Amino acid sequence: MEHKRIAKLLAVIWSIVAVLPLFFGSTNFIMHILIMCLIWSVVASCWDLIMGFAGIFSFGQVAFFVIGAYASAIITAKFGIPPIFAVFLAGVIAAGIGILVGLPCLKLKGAYIALVTFAVHMILEPVLKGGIGRAIGTGGSRGILTIQPMNIFGYTFTSSEPVPYFYLMLFVAVICSGIILAVIKSHWGTAFLALKDAEEFASCLGVSAFKYKLMVFALTSFLTGVIGGFYAHYVGMLSTRMLGIDLFVTLMVILVIGGVGKFPGAIIGAFITIAINEMLSPLGSFRPITLGAMVVILVLLLPDGIVGMFEKIFLKKKKVRSLN
Amino acid sequence: MLIEIMDVIISGLINGSVYALMAVGLTLIYGVSKAFNFAYGSFYSMGGYIAFLLFGVAYFKNYLVVFCLAAPVLLVFGFFIEKLLVAPLRKRDDWEIKVMMITLGLALFLDNSYQVVFGARMKSLPSILEGAFEVGDFILSYQDVVIFVLSIGGILLFRWFLNNTRTGMSVRAVAQNPAGAQIVGIPKEFVFAATFAISTVMVGMGGILLAQKYFVTPGGGWNILIKAWVITAFGGMGSIKGGLYAAFIVGMLEAFVGWQFGMNWTLIALFAVLLTTLAIRPQGLMGKWG
Amino acid sequence: MIKISKLDAYYDDFHVLKNVSMEVKKGQIVVMLGPNGHGKSTFLKSICGLVNKVTGHIEYNGENIAGLGAEKLVNKGITYIAENRELFPEMTVLENLKLGAYSKAARPYEATNLEKVFSLFPRLKERKLQLASTMSGGEARMLAIARGLMSNAKFLAIDEPSLGLQPNLRDEVGRIIREINSQGMTVLVVEQNIPQITELADKLYVLEEGRISFEGTKDEALGNDHLKEIFLGM
Repeated sequence: MEHKRIAKLLAVIWSIVAVLPLFFGSTNFIMHILIMCLIWSVVASCWDLIMGFAGIFSFGQVAFFVIGAYASAIITAKFGIPPIFAVFLAGVIAAGIGILVGLPCLKLKGAYIALVTFAVHMILEPVLKGGIGRAIGTGGSRGILTIQPMNIFGYTFTSSEPVPYFYLMLFVAVICSGIILAVIKSHWGTAFLALKDAEEFASCLGVSAFKYKLMVFALTSFLTGVIGGFYAHYVGMLSTRMLGIDLFVTLMVILVIGGVGKFPGAIIGAFITIAINEMLSPLGSFRPITLGAMVVILVLLLPDGIVGMFEKIFLKKKKVRSLN
Repeated sequence: MLIEIMDVIISGLINGSVYALMAVGLTLIYGVSKAFNFAYGSFYSMGGYIAFLLFGVAYFKNYLVVFCLAAPVLLVFGFFIEKLLVAPLRKRDDWEIKVMMITLGLALFLDNSYQVVFGARMKSLPSILEGAFEVGDFILSYQDVVIFVLSIGGILLFRWFLNNTRTGMSVRAVAQNPAGAQIVGIPKEFVFAATFAISTVMVGMGGILLAQKYFVTPGGGWNILIKAWVITAFGGMGSIKGGLYAAFIVGMLEAFVGWQFGMNWTLIALFAVLLTTLAIRPQGLMGKWG
Repeated sequence: MIKISKLDAYYDDFHVLKNVSMEVKKGQIVVMLGPNGHGKSTFLKSICGLVNKVTGHIEYNGENIAGLGAEKLVNKGITYIAENRELFPEMTVLENLKLGAYSKAARPYEATNLEKVFSLFPRLKERKLQLASTMSGGEARMLAIARGLMSNAKFLAIDEPSLGLQPNLRDEVGRIIREINSQGMTVLVVEQNIPQITELADKLYVLEEGRISFEGTKDEALGNDHLKEIFLGM
């Protein structure tokens, strides 16, 4: 998609989202869901940037999110740093770990990268629950039960009054999507396209695959870590249950529905998926089954996601028009 | 102390042999079709549950019967999963990531179906053979011996299949040169589905063998997927020989770390070793088919 | 035996072959010449079912085979021998040959064909337990041809058999093509201009920019100034 069209689409999406509280502002339950949509839209967009655009099979996105959430919670509790600064520190920590993971694995081939990054996800649970985790202050298997709420210039955001936090999250999400758009539009975006098409050729031209991959790895883990921090201060408690395969697959459904490499599809996907997920919750234990089946069916039937589908319809119309 | 070390070595060998059986299956799919199967662990649990179901029927209280019935079920299941879910994606440019996604969805679907059908509680299977060799304090159960023999037997059978049957040779041919295989008239699509099916049988059989020792749970396959994956990457993706060595190294490492530091550390230790190996040799121990 | 009319082939969106028509009669050796990158390989591959996007008509013994996949065509007796050989590197010579007889039609003749191939290529018999990856370029080329013969083909499509070979080995390739032809094999060879191959031809075609620019006998080709200039360098 052209950059201008992405920007327009983003503007439309965010303005629609911005007026939603006018209708649902009094229903805390729906506002809570909307906040979650915003949070997941950022995580999914980051994942799309790294996987869809940069072509790196990273499966560590949830891990960086959880790292950011725990880091921010622990930093505020241990050092008394206000949450608004703690989330950025959390982002830096996530980015640091991202670089540490990226250094050995970005030289590897696709499936190996998937393994190493997913491995980070898998190890995180025993680490957070075990002795190391308890020493840092993760609360072991109990998790962290009280996290200081977000507080900016003396104003405290509480979950009993979600509208202000919704706008704060919207602000963060708009900035993140702006950064992602800027990356796609910039020299990096072009470099990634070149790398995806012909890595060897691109490296001959002096596009350093490793440098760009590492930078995008750091950037996406930073943004994911920051939004993880915001999540922690909103929900007020954390446990390693987030690392279950459920959340991971939900995030993937977002990407499948939105379309891989079809930014800002991931944002649309987040709103649709979280809404569907909430609607499925009466199904109880059948909900994850349905979610799994949905992934399978959607990958087969809607391989480019909703955005890809509309693109196809739009292009066909254009072609028909030009033929006439 | 000596007895303890002996126990650890034996447990490493036994687990290593079953891991080898399962990792060879995973490396086979990757070597032949470059596809990665995230539902591999769920197929492992499926083996356990099929055995559990069969043992529930009074008629089939015999492992030989269980193996003979479970193998064709797994084979057909694997074949159709490849044909229905993986094969249609192959035409796409980004099929690798799409295959990862669809198999991950399948894994979630299967694991939660197990939970709904069989409940979250773990199921146990009877021991394949009761009794043990006892020399002083040292005890080696017949069960462990049988598991070891069957796993190694399975691998040897598979090796024989690859080297001596027409289908086996065509599997190797596709792995080594897909274009060449097409030229001599090997139906690639069939070979892809067949390897997927065979690997499903291998991991399912591993599931039945290990279920006697470690129970069957709905999400129990993840641990196995990760281990098989680590072994595959460690040995070199697509390399069967590498996978065999790596499986025994991983089995031993796990047993020793678990004994010295506790089970929580085994996964961390595995990844530390894997990362070190990949940092030095990005293609794994033996990054080639053979 | 093979009659092609109005064949068009594409690689992705690239239109490689344009309206190609030609014929190979039973028992003939037909040679198609043409510069590199003008669609010769694509032409052979589209006959043998190795190109996805093909339109037009390919008639084989009276049956339209356009659009059939390689596995069906090999079974019908049409075999492609690749210019870059496409051997199975980690298998022995013998295993490579056995896989050449993979198709159902070839299986019953595996033993007799193996004998035939070994008498044609005694070197391969000496090295039958050697891995294909350890063979020299010339030996690998012979193995590729031998593997093609194992398929019990009636029609062989050989892609630049002398590419990268020394002159004495080119003579050898020419001798082998003549010999298998004398045993009844119909052969279509594409080549750049190699005298050892060209002189075998019962009929010559020239493919330029995806179109047939000449068809005729060797003598007619010699009389064609345009061809002389391009290929014969005269």
